[in-house]
Amino acid sequence: MHLAFGPAAEKTVTDPGASTSEAQAIEVASIEDLHVTFRRSGKDIAALRGVSLDIRRGEILGLVGESGSGKSVLGLALLGLLDARADVRGAVRVAGRDMAHCDQSARREVRRVHLGAVFQDPMTSLNPTMRVGRQVAEVAGSKDEAERLLGAVGIPDPASRMDAFPHELSGGLRQRVMIAMAVAGNPDLIVADEPTTALDVTVQAQVLTLLRSLRDEIGCSVLLITHDLGCAAQVADRVAVMYAGRLAELGSSAEVLARASHPYTLALLRSRLSLASDRTTSLLALPGEVPNPAAPEPGCAFAPRCDLAGPACLDAPPPPLEVRPGHLSACVVPAVEVTSRLAEVVRAAVVPHPEREPHNDDVVTLYRVQKSFRVGAGRTTRRLQALRGVNLTVGRGESVALVGESGSGKSTLLRIVAGLESFDGGKLEVAGPDCPQMVFQDAGASLTPWLTVGEIIGERLRGISRAERAAKVAQALAHVGLPAEVAKAKSAQLSGGQRQRVSLARATVVAPSILLCDEPTSALDVSLAASVINLIGGLRRELGMSVLFVTHDLSVARVVADRIAVMYLGRIVEVGDADQITSQPVHPYTQALMSAVPDMGREPVALRGEPASPLAPPAGCAFHSRCPKAIDDCGDALLDVRLTAVDRSAHHLAACIRATA
Amino acid sequence: MAIAEPVARRALRTTSRRKTRNLERKASVAAASLFGVVTLAALLAPVLSPDNPLMPAGAPLLGPGKGGFLLGSDSIGRDVLSRVLYGMRTSWFAALGVIALGLLIGGVIGLVAGATGGWVDNVLMRITDAFLALPAPVLAIAVVAALGPSLLHTLVAVSIVWWPFYARIVRGEIRNLAARPHVEAAKLAGAGRLRIAVRHLLPGAVPAALVTASLDIGNLVLTLAGLSFLGLGQSAPAAELGADTARNLSFLLQDWWVPVMPGIGVLVLAFIGNIAGDGVRNLIEPD
Amino acid sequence: MSALLAKRLGAIVMISIALAGVLFYLQKISPLDPVHARLGGQASASAVAAERHRLGLDRPEFTQFVDYVRGAVHGDLGDSYRTRRPVSTDLRAYLPATAELALSGLLIAMVLGVLLAFATTLRWKASSVLRPVLLLGASTPTFLLGIAGILLFYSKLHWLPATGRSSLADVPGGPTGLITVDALLHGRFDVFWDAVQHLIMPATAIALGPAVAIARVLRSSLVSDQRSDYARTARAKGLSEPAILIKHVLRNCVGAALSMTGLQVGLMFAGVLVIEQVFSWPGIGQYVAQSIPVADFPAISGVTLLLGVGYVVINTVVDLLQAVADPRIKV
Repeated sequence: MHLAFGPAAEKTVTDPGASTSEAQAIEVASIEDLHVTFRRSGKDIAALRGVSLDIRRGEILGLVGESGSGKSVLGLALLGLLDARADVRGAVRVAGRDMAHCDQSARREVRRVHLGAVFQDPMTSLNPTMRVGRQVAEVAGSKDEAERLLGAVGIPDPASRMDAFPHELSGGLRQRVMIAMAVAGNPDLIVADEPTTALDVTVQAQVLTLLRSLRDEIGCSVLLITHDLGCAAQVADRVAVMYAGRLAELGSSAEVLARASHPYTLALLRSRLSLASDRTTSLLALPGEVPNPAAPEPGCAFAPRCDLAGPACLDAPPPPLEVRPGHLSACVVPAVEVTSRLAEVVRAAVVPHPEREPHNDDVVTLYRVQKSFRVGAGRTTRRLQALRGVNLTVGRGESVALVGESGSGKSTLLRIVAGLESFDGGKLEVAGPDCPQMVFQDAGASLTPWLTVGEIIGERLRGISRAERAAKVAQALAHVGLPAEVAKAKSAQLSGGQRQRVSLARATVVAPSILLCDEPTSALDVSLAASVINLIGGLRRELGMSVLFVTHDLSVARVVADRIAVMYLGRIVEVGDADQITSQPVHPYTQALMSAVPDMGREPVALRGEPASPLAPPAGCAFHSRCPKAIDDCGDALLDVRLTAVDRSAHHLAACIRATA
Repeated sequence: MAIAEPVARRALRTTSRRKTRNLERKASVAAASLFGVVTLAALLAPVLSPDNPLMPAGAPLLGPGKGGFLLGSDSIGRDVLSRVLYGMRTSWFAALGVIALGLLIGGVIGLVAGATGGWVDNVLMRITDAFLALPAPVLAIAVVAALGPSLLHTLVAVSIVWWPFYARIVRGEIRNLAARPHVEAAKLAGAGRLRIAVRHLLPGAVPAALVTASLDIGNLVLTLAGLSFLGLGQSAPAAELGADTARNLSFLLQDWWVPVMPGIGVLVLAFIGNIAGDGVRNLIEPD
Repeated sequence: MSALLAKRLGAIVMISIALAGVLFYLQKISPLDPVHARLGGQASASAVAAERHRLGLDRPEFTQFVDYVRGAVHGDLGDSYRTRRPVSTDLRAYLPATAELALSGLLIAMVLGVLLAFATTLRWKASSVLRPVLLLGASTPTFLLGIAGILLFYSKLHWLPATGRSSLADVPGGPTGLITVDALLHGRFDVFWDAVQHLIMPATAIALGPAVAIARVLRSSLVSDQRSDYARTARAKGLSEPAILIKHVLRNCVGAALSMTGLQVGLMFAGVLVIEQVFSWPGIGQYVAQSIPVADFPAISGVTLLLGVGYVVINTVVDLLQAVADPRIKV
């Protein structure tokens, strides 16, 4: 398969001997001591501080890091797309050119012939006013080739999708279009920057699988940039872990997972949630926050958060050293010592949860709750069926997680319990005396920007003196691990983790009977997420609150909740004790969600298709169109699948005629 | 957890801003303060003017610089400079007045519509849209024609057609803010409708409204001058920029300064207004 | 598309009726009595009563309003106090001159606006000088632009004429009333060129302010979209900057520029009325200027209705064009 237009000839010139066996060892890109500094509001932001990295021909290299680690800057540097005002030192060699310093037209040529790119948000990354066929043809060279590519990336009926505009496609299909553009012309390297972050869990697995199969087919290399170590380890051949603009650890995926040698990698692995995480103790959260890139420390950037840090760590950033063949780690402490000493620290840090006393009364009772929204106006009005009859109870002091993909109605359910949304039918009882409190996904947006933290939290304290109010605010802040001075700060002056703590302080300054959590950790870095989850669990036990926790991630649900309710298109399809649901899922959808959780060393199992539109839920069992176990009866319009007891257990219910019959 | 740190860091950042940044900011402050300077000058117009704008002070139609007239004299020997200064004073206060009224009416309607939502929002915005769907200056002409020509009527007419613009902007800002979770959080914290509107919504709309208003002063000066040129303003002896140009058009080819100088007065006022408006925008919405 | 069209046409009718209502109400609250305006202050009481009856002023207000709207729909805008002719007849005589001037101005404003936006976005040579010039241009009153033009290009340089639409005697009376178009239809290039020379100054004077406004909006839209994710994707494909601007960014920015153009038309109408005075342009502006001092309300309300409906129609066209440019706007 070769390009229809010219530069193919040049390609063989810049890549001598592409087909020889030696070429397998040659790297498609090599980064040498790369420093990138941006100037923002008059301050120098050190995004990359000396990174050297080779990408080998045909490999998938997972580049893992939290926000501010510089992983995306590295990707842009490879593409030669850094801001022209950035100060770049070092070299970024792709196809014989230095993408950091060669002229624009040479960079363009390398991008056009040798590189492909997939970005995070396929909605904004595609031109909204151009038909996708034309957008692909722009790189593919011809309409026919574009159509072939759309087919190759798994877009059903590519001929008709050629004329679609991006907004007419689902999120998964849009990302497939992006991938089609990236692989057009058989590039040597595809830079994929968080390609699955904006997608639903079950679609993420599809896209990862697609990326890997394309690599196998075309033989290109892939740089997979992600914040999720599990996601990288699952599909990548090698993994590079970055922290604060430097490489912390690099090695083959299996090696890094099994024998992580850098304290940061170990911390990431510990705080990362999986279906095997221990539910009975608090999570091991990484203390502190990501360092400020505007004021880099002279020594190891991780030292302030590291349990093993000593005086030797503070002088100079340690260079990556080989700990085993092909396995680098940038730590002054010998690898063997790292693992043994950290194991001890961990043993000391683990706090088991106290036993919960069972309560018999319910705080929230939902009975056949229905909700639909009107979409559009005039003749095009349609009804979006967000909730199609939901029964659920939350006991006093109990924690229940609602799990589902976009369109499942989980957030709508939460907002109805909060009283922020009305409902059309059914019954809702919420035990008083005060109304439920809520923490939002975007904690920053849930704090009024021009009010101080003290004013915001104080809003819940009426009818008491100013001094009493200040004392209560300070107490609530202390409860969430923040000092009293925070009361004087405004939201913009706080970090992401601090904002989420402030919103928890507001919710608990007067303990509510139930705390509603709308994906409070999904916008946070892995290390911060664990500490917020610990905090919510701690507050719940201390204040005797119930918690209703919405998440798309079963592994999060498993550790935060006593019970889990899995939702699909406005209905609960399975509900039961967290252990039961995650160890013996009965409903095919729950099983699919389980297998979609990215985990190390496990093949991603992709569920076909994407969640159907709640504007037109399929007849019968709404899941039957995607269900691997569906039989003809499942799509019967007269079928009303109800939650039925599994194994005669009153706790574990599932709505599937195949599973419970 | 060291929380105070980012706060301190923030303070550090402001003090360590680069020089260029600092210079830009100073330039913006200087530009924005032109609003104050012009207002002061307008207040002091009687002191600044060398002659009475309504009374002849020398020979007619003397060129600029001749006979002690810096900008020349008009057809009956009045000082053009004094007339232009008095005209600028009228224009400036008229523009400020219309903007203040527009902000007040538009702000209240925008806030009520945006914060209430539902049918109230619908009705108020339909009315606003109907006004916006009509060409404002032309509608103002009709209003003045009905009420009879006078400066007050012109200002009333322009205010009537000007507020919907502000109502739209304020309402849009409020709607955007109302969709943010911080409003829902305030609702859950027990804040009432009025408290949410005044404390959690209104402050967020102020910057946009202020920026729009300050960028609008130049426009308004020009619009009012145009209406004055068409004869919708004070009657004959009063000094008014647009009208002074219109009445003296016949002198254009021989004694050009008589019609041109008032026009330049408008230009200066609008130009200062635009520069100051840009300054305010740069201060409030630095990019 | 047809649904949107029907909705838009409905909106035009609604707004026109609303405007008619406003004008009718203005007439009612006006201190100037239409009967006295016609008969003079000395008329006898019986004559006044007879005139009131003839004008239908003794009937219920709502009936009067319905009659007014019905008349307006059929082109009956009442009689002018000043000329004593039907306002519609007067307008018909003045409209072509104004339409020619306004349309030329709109054309110049759009072309100039796009050029200025591109020059500053792509950093063409000397485009840095443009910023202060643009700011100055946006601050200059229309009439000053007009008289400065007359002083420079007519009085000093003798390049362009200063008054009227044409200096030729045998202008063909064509089907449209727009001299330039009629001249071309009749193949009279001398007349066309002469008319263009007359148009240049007044049309440019009314176009400059709107051109700057359009350029500003288009430029900021272009610049922000150049930094957008989809532009980054285009860059990753290896497209050149001009190609990205023209193939990808421009279509996404047309909407903002179009809606600004629609808004500016309203200000341009006011500019037309003013500039016609300066250049003795025989259009509606002259008619308005003569009507204002004598408080000829029927004449002015007729003009307002005409320009108001024209404005609404133009903005409807703008909305439809936006829907064509952006597939996300549901039609």
